[in-house]
Amino acid sequence: MSMSNASEKPTGLIFFPAFDWAISPTHPEREERLLYTRDQIFEEGIMDLPQVSEYTPVLATTHDIAMTHFCVPRVEDQVTEAHLIAAGAAILLADEIVSGQIKNGFALVRPPGHHSMRVVHGNRGFCNINNEAIMVNYLRRRKGIKRVAIIDSDVHHGDGTQDIFWHDPDVLFISFHQDGRTIFPGTGFTNELGGPGAYARTINIPLPPGATDESLLYIVDNLILPVLSDFKPDFIVNSAGQDNHFTDPLGSMRFTAQGYARLTEKLRPDLAVLEGGYAIETALPYVNMGIILALAGLDYSAVLEPDYQKFRESADLAGQVRRMVDQLLQRWAKRDQVSISQSDMTGNYFQHTKRIYYDTDNIQENQLEKLRLCDNCPGYLSIETKANHGYGQTGGKALCLSIPIDACASCRTEAADLYEKAKKARTYSYVYLQDKSADLFLGYDTANGKEWRSEGS
Amino acid sequence: MFVGVDVGGTYTDAVLLDHEAVRATAKIPTRADLLESVLEALDIVLKDVDNKDLKRIVISTTVITNLIAGRKYDKVALLLIPGPGLSHRYYDFKTKTIILTGAIDYRGREIVPLNEKEIVAALSELAAEGYKKVGVAGKFSPRNSAHEKQVAAIIQEKYPDWQVELGFRAGPQLNFPRRAATTYLTCATREPYRNFVNSVRQALEKRKISAEVFILKADGGTMPLDKSVEQPVETIFSGPAASTLGVQALTPPDETEVVVDIGGTTTDIALILNGQPLLSAKGARVNEQLTQVHTLAVRSVPVGGDSLLELAGDEIVFRPERLGPAYCMGGPAPTPTDALRVLGLTALGEEAKAEVAMEKLGAPLGLSAAETAGRVIDLIADSITAEVEKMFLEWEQEPAYRIWELLQKRKVRPSIVAGVGGGADGLIPQIAAKLGCDPVIPPYAPVANAVGAAVARPTLQVSLRADTEQGYYQIREEGFQGKIDKRSFNEQKALALAREKLLERAADYGLAVTPDEIEVTYREVFNMIRGWDTSGRLYDFTVQTPRGITCRIEKGGK
Repeated sequence: MSMSNASEKPTGLIFFPAFDWAISPTHPEREERLLYTRDQIFEEGIMDLPQVSEYTPVLATTHDIAMTHFCVPRVEDQVTEAHLIAAGAAILLADEIVSGQIKNGFALVRPPGHHSMRVVHGNRGFCNINNEAIMVNYLRRRKGIKRVAIIDSDVHHGDGTQDIFWHDPDVLFISFHQDGRTIFPGTGFTNELGGPGAYARTINIPLPPGATDESLLYIVDNLILPVLSDFKPDFIVNSAGQDNHFTDPLGSMRFTAQGYARLTEKLRPDLAVLEGGYAIETALPYVNMGIILALAGLDYSAVLEPDYQKFRESADLAGQVRRMVDQLLQRWAKRDQVSISQSDMTGNYFQHTKRIYYDTDNIQENQLEKLRLCDNCPGYLSIETKANHGYGQTGGKALCLSIPIDACASCRTEAADLYEKAKKARTYSYVYLQDKSADLFLGYDTANGKEWRSEGS
Repeated sequence: MFVGVDVGGTYTDAVLLDHEAVRATAKIPTRADLLESVLEALDIVLKDVDNKDLKRIVISTTVITNLIAGRKYDKVALLLIPGPGLSHRYYDFKTKTIILTGAIDYRGREIVPLNEKEIVAALSELAAEGYKKVGVAGKFSPRNSAHEKQVAAIIQEKYPDWQVELGFRAGPQLNFPRRAATTYLTCATREPYRNFVNSVRQALEKRKISAEVFILKADGGTMPLDKSVEQPVETIFSGPAASTLGVQALTPPDETEVVVDIGGTTTDIALILNGQPLLSAKGARVNEQLTQVHTLAVRSVPVGGDSLLELAGDEIVFRPERLGPAYCMGGPAPTPTDALRVLGLTALGEEAKAEVAMEKLGAPLGLSAAETAGRVIDLIADSITAEVEKMFLEWEQEPAYRIWELLQKRKVRPSIVAGVGGGADGLIPQIAAKLGCDPVIPPYAPVANAVGAAVARPTLQVSLRADTEQGYYQIREEGFQGKIDKRSFNEQKALALAREKLLERAADYGLAVTPDEIEVTYREVFNMIRGWDTSGRLYDFTVQTPRGITCRIEKGGK
């Protein structure tokens, strides 16, 4: 094969199908998942193209994980090597992009991660840790990247990513997905807009089942791109779930490989990271090809599924999507004029309770989340968490304290004091302090009085 | 007794092995006629030998390299069946190419049928333009060769005198563009290569040599002379394979070594990891086209004993071209060989002339002849060392697709730098020092390539793929398909079937292989899950006859 613009940097690709990892022998998140994608991209000779540069992944460190997640009791209890490789792949490509080695990248890896929240008691929606969030926090801590936009194009609401960046005004999270009333995880409605300090930095676009490329591209052109152009991110991430495909067994949408490729071309993400997608034969080989070619700036017009057709949308559905886009644009326009409901306030703290269900592991978690409202920084966050692991097995409470990257001295001091007090109080089985401003993590096991720490090197 | 012959670009080398000892060697300039070079070298080493005692001859030649470089073949057209995927406009095989309708998917299912009218029209077009050689390559044809075979049948019917090559045979790995390029080269070279094989056979008959004759491949394995016509392109770039096998035979076993072959203007580097030559993960690049030809991992650095040295600003640099021999041997300009001579690292040429060459080169920088020579050796050793480091890095960074593969990756460092070829032995200690290795110039280093050819052994492989959901299995090398029973088929049966096919193939090649010698070199088993149930299994196995060398060479044989 010949070609093209030699001055253009290549697209970085990490293909890590984890052919020796599955959640359980017959689970959809299985060894075979990327097998036909492998066959397709190898047969197409994608790795030989001068526009594509293949990388081999490295493992993320437990510290990288701990700077995003509070894994209970410890990181090592919640992740396997496969998870460290998937997160490490995203980090490696992000590093290469920031240092200018590649123009953009695609971590075509499993296991996925976008349902993993800040606190991790087990596997939710096939996810243990959030690859994109870990990578974004790495870039912000270590590479001086400030503003990041994450666009989640999985058919399921990216509730984990939403949870992690809910209070973060510098991370814009946009998720479009099948309406939560009809699919897991049952969230992602238009009124979920982010915490008091980050209003409308979370935007959800629940789509009616049956939506096609037409609606997809409408929301990209009329909502996502205008919002991105206002937000001016330093780095754009695409959580590239592929289950909006018309053949997906879990979703009910009708996107095609062409639609996904066009989305990629318009969005111009710096880094795409694979999320879900379980039509492993009829969708994944084609959608992944489309995304790779679009990232590399190559002609993808011939990437067509065997039963490809141009789906038509009802006028009703299209109208519904248009109205939702208008409504969300208005919210976006008023993003800096939010007033917090007084019922959520306790003194200087914004607080609310959450119930989180882990479908894969059948865990029910209860959280009390408190954000310090601070004039000088986004404020530190404290989360009291308790998980019921089913069958009457109940873990103890844990306290998680998270200090944001641009925290003020007073928030840092207050959180640190709280951590020391909680260690002594013995109310919690585990106490954690995640200080992103100092790239430092502390954990404390009350039962044996042992503390552990990790720092960025 | 065994004979190894390596026809290189400059020299043709031969050795005669008697068990583990070298009995005779030959080194002659390569003639324009390769066969003449082979015979001349053979005659030298066989001078005192009764032909009846000769068991085997292994030849490594540049015949394919020369054919392709000189485009000494008839024009070849390509008929491609790519189906959906990468846009066809990126395919550029530097020859007449017609795209046909039709598509097969990754599991070998037909998703778009062929269009016979379109094929007939394409053939008329080729006929009108005078093509008589056609390569037919389809995407996923190794998973189902029906389309390629149908096109071949139509050609056979309409144009029985045309030569047709099919992609699933020429390029059985998953990589369609490389398959197309390999099919093209196979089609182009088969006939002239067959002529070469015939003339070798005739010449040997004339000399009443009835030993088995094998041809060395780029991956270090051999093929019987007659069978080599099936995969002529596999014999390209066999020279570096010959040198590497030679080092393997001439140095202690199980070492991790860097093989450095310093020639006149290029240096070839290959790696032996824990006693096994490293294969390139992908196929060879031939004439700027990527192919599926298996080859050892070899890197070439454009520097050698005769490279031109000059100043660029206040730095000494080397140029890839050769103006003639070294100055100390009557050449026109300073070369690395002159530097070696000044430092007493070689006995070639005249010392006084070498001094002059180095003095002239270094004078503008205020350097003495010895200082200049030191810088030159440093420069050359540095550039070769840098390539070696890159090779190790590349090997370490080769993608892994399984967790265990990724976790077992570790740094492997060489312990030996082995110099062969005899071009610039003086450099080997310098390179070894930079890499923290022991320098080794093995015995018979100047003919290590011929030793390598002599000890090379035939390799054969069979790849079996079984899809129990669809109820068939397939032998990739043969495009053969057979039915299997979905319920009772299992991993043991898959392996047994692959072994049986390999033994059949070995018998056809006249190779004595016992079942317990067979190695499983690739194993992939996937459960197919459809809606929370196992609906079938996919097996992918490659079995092969053992790789390696027939024997090690003991020192002091002659």
